[in-house]
Amino acid sequence: MPYYQTWEEFARAAEKLYLADPMKVRVVLKYRHCDGNLCIKVTDNAVCLQYKTDQAQDVKKIEKLHGKLMRLMVSKETHSGSMETD
Amino acid sequence: MVLLENDSFLTELTRLFQKCRTSGSVAITLKKYDGRTKPVPKKGHPESFEPADNKCLIRASDGKKKISTVVSTKEVIKFQMAYSNLLRAHIDGLKKKDKKSKSKKTKATQ
Repeated sequence: MPYYQTWEEFARAAEKLYLADPMKVRVVLKYRHCDGNLCIKVTDNAVCLQYKTDQAQDVKKIEKLHGKLMRLMVSKETHSGSMETD
Repeated sequence: MVLLENDSFLTELTRLFQKCRTSGSVAITLKKYDGRTKPVPKKGHPESFEPADNKCLIRASDGKKKISTVVSTKEVIKFQMAYSNLLRAHIDGLKKKDKKSKSKKTKATQ
């Protein structure tokens, strides 16, 4: 389970993974104040992408990505396959 | 696992962050939710369930206490604003980058 070195790569891979199968993917955010670090993980139980940071400047990026994925999840997307409600 | 309303969830999440300031971690999980309340039926049984497409499940835990909430399209805007503010307010123990050696850049990300 590799930790990505650059935020850019992680963000791109995470969004791609989510769009491939929205129902499977989950996003986990773990914050440790005592150690002063934040870790974000995006996985579909087959692939696991992780990014860790102790920099305050990354908090905003992580929180934005989190919000973006949240909005993707609640938006009614017309995606092929799975859910057909007739 | 306690399922809460969006507002109660945010209040409890604030408490989790405050509790874990001296030790421990706060884990938040976000996942797309299709509104199931019953387990997936076995093969051969008809799936008498219409999946909803506009909800997501948010869980939070400090290792001991677990809370969760469901957010749907109507609530997401309000929830996301409050949630972002909450994260930014509490996730503040991280290192601030100040490069004294090279060029003096005062808070580039604003």
